[in-house]
Amino acid sequence: MTEIFDKHILKNGMVILGEPMEAVKSVAFDFMLPAGAAVLAEGCCGAGNVISDWIFRGAGDRNSRQLSDALDGLGLHRAESVGSSHITIGAALEANNLAKALDLYADIILRPRLEEDQFELTKQLAVAGVYSLDDEPRHKVMLKLREQFYPHPLGRSTVGDINELKELNAEKTREIVKNNFYLSQTIFSVAGKYEFDAICRQVENLFETDHQEIREPVMLGPKAGRYTHINNDSAQVHIGLMTETVTPSNDDYYSARMAVSVLSGGMSARLFTEVREKRGLCYAIGARYHGLKDAAGIMCYAGTTPDKAQETLDCIIGEFDRLSDEISEEEIARAKVGLKSSLILQSESSSSRASAIGHDYYMLGRVRSLDEIKDRIETTNVDSVLSFLRKNKLEDFTVLTIGPREVVVG
Amino acid sequence: MVFKKKKLANGLDLIGEVNKSAKSAAVGFFVRTGSRDETKQINGVSHFLEHMLFKGTENLDAFEVNKAFDGTGAQFNAFTSEENTVYYAAVLPEYVIEVTKLWIELMRPALRDEDFNIEKNVIKEEIAMYKDTPSFDVMDRCRSLHFGGHPCGNSVLGGEKSIEDLTVEQMRNYFVTRYAPDNMIFTCAGNFDWGQICSTLETFCLKWQGQAVARKLEHFEGSKKKERIEKSNLACEHICLISPCVSFRDPRRFAAALLSVIVGDNVGSRFFWELVDKALAEVATMQYSPMDGTGALYSYIRCSGKNVSKVLGIVGDIFRSLSHEGITKDELRKAKNKVLSALVIKNELPMGRLLDLGFNWIYLKQYHTIEDDVKAVKAVTVDGVNSLIEQFNPGDFTQFSIGPACNESGQH
Repeated sequence: MTEIFDKHILKNGMVILGEPMEAVKSVAFDFMLPAGAAVLAEGCCGAGNVISDWIFRGAGDRNSRQLSDALDGLGLHRAESVGSSHITIGAALEANNLAKALDLYADIILRPRLEEDQFELTKQLAVAGVYSLDDEPRHKVMLKLREQFYPHPLGRSTVGDINELKELNAEKTREIVKNNFYLSQTIFSVAGKYEFDAICRQVENLFETDHQEIREPVMLGPKAGRYTHINNDSAQVHIGLMTETVTPSNDDYYSARMAVSVLSGGMSARLFTEVREKRGLCYAIGARYHGLKDAAGIMCYAGTTPDKAQETLDCIIGEFDRLSDEISEEEIARAKVGLKSSLILQSESSSSRASAIGHDYYMLGRVRSLDEIKDRIETTNVDSVLSFLRKNKLEDFTVLTIGPREVVVG
Repeated sequence: MVFKKKKLANGLDLIGEVNKSAKSAAVGFFVRTGSRDETKQINGVSHFLEHMLFKGTENLDAFEVNKAFDGTGAQFNAFTSEENTVYYAAVLPEYVIEVTKLWIELMRPALRDEDFNIEKNVIKEEIAMYKDTPSFDVMDRCRSLHFGGHPCGNSVLGGEKSIEDLTVEQMRNYFVTRYAPDNMIFTCAGNFDWGQICSTLETFCLKWQGQAVARKLEHFEGSKKKERIEKSNLACEHICLISPCVSFRDPRRFAAALLSVIVGDNVGSRFFWELVDKALAEVATMQYSPMDGTGALYSYIRCSGKNVSKVLGIVGDIFRSLSHEGITKDELRKAKNKVLSALVIKNELPMGRLLDLGFNWIYLKQYHTIEDDVKAVKAVTVDGVNSLIEQFNPGDFTQFSIGPACNESGQH
């Protein structure tokens, strides 16, 4: 399979990436705006959630209602998310509506109205979002885990801090939009059915500005605690744990991904087999790779009733420890097939591809082809994964629990 | 896209839609069984049985099953609802037959005592997990309040007690009456060879015997009761509203789907403008769930305790205005755009296509192309939606709420 990638860079540094897909009638796009939770000033935790809503409450000539009607009129399926590094706003839609959608998104990004009365509403929603996390311990445990695991501010909550949110005002938030919707570090990606020349001309007309200076990267602080427990009268103890590994740009990245697959890639992988199948300790159990540009970890979740919490944690840590002892050829073969096949299955979705190429470019400064990824997965083997694990031991776990009972982290 | 079908002598239906330009294929068994086919004594057995199918056959243990699936790189799983149990896998074309053979084998499980006993713990953990997910819990409890004694009110997961008391013997008996070939279909979508699929199923499935016990169908208007429970560890009020609607067999289901988008899509709907945009509720959505012989509109609203009365008052106003003035032409136009683009995007993936193909066959015994569905959506009129509102009056609903003890105090 050979793919073509399109790429064009505006004079101001904004990157346009595209991946044409022959079999689809849809198109999906993402704007990655460098305004994620980790890059905001101290004291503004949660501003990203306010901003990603506020900018849709009126832009350019349209008020909130008119803008929403215009987007709905295109049958657009919106997706907004706040990550550590970016606020991503994007959509999937039928291909012939793309040009109209881009006009609207230029207003949203460059000319949001950011009106005072709308700010109060969007802030109330963001505050409600933080409170409602208390009712979703499965989600909250992983968010809190990242806060504890990553050097500050990389793991800063993407949902927000209740006190900082309450202190946030419209003026301060406008300032963040002005300073962080920084086109020279914005990545626009598109995948599906489109015409690249036409897109480039349109994006150039809409987004070209004078060259902007590249900003300084954020300074990293220390990591927080090793074990944190949040008391909650819930039915289960929700356990999150995380240990350090290599970032996506590291030469050993594919070995790390293979190691995670052996641990938790499928139903025959070790965590599912040992924790759920043999012992019946959990329903939900799994580990995954979580990579930022400057730090990365393997994160694991398990939910279990209080009596089984300690045994579950011990069993999970035992499996992490045991991983570098021995891995079979069979396990590596299954991990390879699993990783390669999920890559191809995801490549059929325009939304997945738009997001993947933007993400690649941010992490690596280029887009990897599916062939390259497959080749790199193929070159790993039992010895390379084991030697990686022995060199980069899975230890020093950061653990977070939410529930009626604490655990002991050995 | 080419549609294919075949009925085996024992009643098993095979259907497929071939799309040679797809990079993958999706295959699945749809079994016409779920919690509505259970008695109170065995409530939860359909879902528990779905777990047990992965525990293997006379020739394969659970670990061998998992290894076999993972060896194909398949993205596979299963789910159980009130009326269907679906086993599916998305896979690269070179593995389609291997995965199909595996599913075929698993459809005749060993149901061993020792596996049953360990898996019972996993089911209990799943029940506990959903207790900690109030957005799910409130829907489950509201469904049971709405349907009352009607079997559609049975919980899919079952209760702690019904699961604790369930025996493997009861499960084996249930299996025999529900997993009969005339109560199952095999579906495939995407890039596969139909001839090969057919001969594989003929070779291995023809020996399946038995006839399913028919399901009793009756429409149900719902109890319209209102209940609330308190949980001290919650921060928000979780509210579910259910009102009756048309069944899957009713051609007006397209109008019902559009109505739910107009009232409760996550952006641009009436709920959105009146509740979410004004920050009175954090979430307010409506979904239409077409079922066998009946149907329902489900709303889910999450707000702070201090806003509950106001929110419910506004919800009442929205439904009253729908009854009195109906929907507008512009609302219908926007809803159609959203539904049509969702249809196109979903069906670009063989996995998305598999579900539409399977459910159309399960409920209607019909094949609908994507274009058929597009046409049906486009054909819905303002009057069509309004007459549905008139007939079913969505403002007359069953309501269940779960929230903290300090409701209306203004505190979180």
